[in-house]
Amino acid sequence: MKKTLLIIIGLIVLGIAPIVIRSPFFVHLMIMVLMWTVLGASWNILGGYAGQVSFGHATFLGAGAYTTMILYLKCGVDPWYGIFLGGLVAMVISLPIGFICFRLRGPYFSLSTLAVAEIVRLVALNWESLTAGPVGLLITTLPGVSFLGQPINWESKVPFYYIIAIITLIALIMTYIVSRTRVGAYLLALREDIDSAESIGINTVKARVVALALSAFLAGIAGGFYAMYLRYVDPDAVFSIGLSVEMLFIAIVGGLATVGGPLIGAIVLVTLGESFREHFLSGHLIFYGFFMMVAIRYMPDGVWGRLNVLFKKLRLKKDVNHGTA
Amino acid sequence: MALLDVQGLTKCFGGLKAVSDLSFQVNEGEILGLIGPNGAGKTTVFSLITGFIPANQGKILLEGKDIAGLKPYSIAHKGMARTFQIVKPFRKLTVLENVSLAAFLRHSARKDAEAQARRVLERVELIDKAEAYASDLTLSEQKRLEIARALATNPKVLLLDEPMGGLNPTEVDHASILVRDICKSGVTIVWVEHVLKAIMNSCHRVIVIHHGEKIADMPPEEVVTNPVVIEAYLGKKANSYKKGEPIC
Ligand SMILES: Nc1ncnc2c1ncn2[C@@H]1O[C@H](COP(=O)(O)OP(=O)(O)O)[C@@H](O)[C@H]1O
Ligand SMILES: [Mg+2]
Repeated sequence: MKKTLLIIIGLIVLGIAPIVIRSPFFVHLMIMVLMWTVLGASWNILGGYAGQVSFGHATFLGAGAYTTMILYLKCGVDPWYGIFLGGLVAMVISLPIGFICFRLRGPYFSLSTLAVAEIVRLVALNWESLTAGPVGLLITTLPGVSFLGQPINWESKVPFYYIIAIITLIALIMTYIVSRTRVGAYLLALREDIDSAESIGINTVKARVVALALSAFLAGIAGGFYAMYLRYVDPDAVFSIGLSVEMLFIAIVGGLATVGGPLIGAIVLVTLGESFREHFLSGHLIFYGFFMMVAIRYMPDGVWGRLNVLFKKLRLKKDVNHGTA
Repeated sequence: MALLDVQGLTKCFGGLKAVSDLSFQVNEGEILGLIGPNGAGKTTVFSLITGFIPANQGKILLEGKDIAGLKPYSIAHKGMARTFQIVKPFRKLTVLENVSLAAFLRHSARKDAEAQARRVLERVELIDKAEAYASDLTLSEQKRLEIARALATNPKVLLLDEPMGGLNPTEVDHASILVRDICKSGVTIVWVEHVLKAIMNSCHRVIVIHHGEKIADMPPEEVVTNPVVIEAYLGKKANSYKKGEPIC
């Protein structure tokens, strides 16, 4: 009951936030929070639920971003289909990557994802006929679309806000469904012990490939959105290791293998990142890194995990009070 | 036709022949004991017939169909489940979640899988611990959890790898009753144990392996007085052994 109420309140806040607070900076901040929520949710499915730590998730973000961009610029495909196709292409690319990297376990898997991500970045940098190499791709105008009879004004950030809000809801609902069904249970089994998982009939190769594909799909969609929102992509902007690491941080700080974790992680880290950037100019990464160390040391289950424990304690206390009263 | 028919199974680790031209059959409804000194190759036999490691040679027929070369998960689908000598629970999941995961093999809905898991937990007397984390169980409970998880996949053949290892005498008696009970419910069992005594009263038949080779296949009462077996277990000390006295 309480949960449904919380969700309804959350949805209302999500719906009216940009109408109530009109500052473009604030809307931009919320767009970034939501986009990073999707990226954190993407990483969380593979890294949190299935326990396969990837250092190369920027690959899928980049694949989505370039797909959407190239389809729009070269084939005139509407970006709103393009974003979805970006997710699909990222998913397809994840299959051979899974085939290569899932031969390895644990830290070796993680290192192989890092290596693959670097290879993909170098390919994007050098395949100039497709990606324009280091120069990057730029969109000058977005297509005219009207909504409820009104032409949409792409110079305002608000339409982008609603688009990413819908994508975020899809990501969270997808995570919820995964966590509630057999698929999600299988992913947890993978994380815990691959031999035991096999012994009870789980095709662990298939389960890992499914986790990676779902994860890549979400990162690809977020990437497609990223390209449309910033209207510019180049290999260093979308394939950099920094992005992969950021996704991992958000999922870990928020709380691994939880539905709401990535949202919390993104709220904390994106706002913190922005304000550190504002206050400390060049040194902001030091503070950011320091915060990460403290968070991981004192909240190994993430903020969401920590909150859950606190809630449970509070509830217990209440029950005890009722008992004595 | 035997339920499980192993023919000429061979496995080398480098120069070491861990299992050597091993053949045996498991009949439906029996408890077959598989014993041998430490390092005899018992665990390797289990890993071979459940597909965890590939054999160099040999056939493994389950209900007449060759399953050699299949992956462990598909062997589980075909109705053969194993436990691990060194227990491998899903440590950060609860006991109920551990067993439900296995029950998902035959039930796609979580509700059905959980109901099946609860039934199995009742049988192995772990139902009181359903909400406990697997990592918080005692060794004896973790061994029972191994059995529960294998059982929840609804197997025809259950392979138990030293379920008594590390247990005290009371727990051993308790576990023996459980295994016999599982057999009575229609599950065929192959039971590996290092010490013969533990399974003496439960097995219908015992196979003894030594250095990866089968050296005996007979009822348990005969095994304990068989000179070849005694020699394998006691080595040179066999000379000082008085005839007719059981080895354990
Ligand atoms: N993965 C492996 N690689 C190399 N040698 C192994 C491996 N597994 C088992 N062995 C060796 O094979 C022999 C049989 O081992 P095992 O099957 O575990 O014996 P048991 O279960 O009867 O005690 C031992 O000598 C062991 O050292
Ligand atoms: Mg062994």
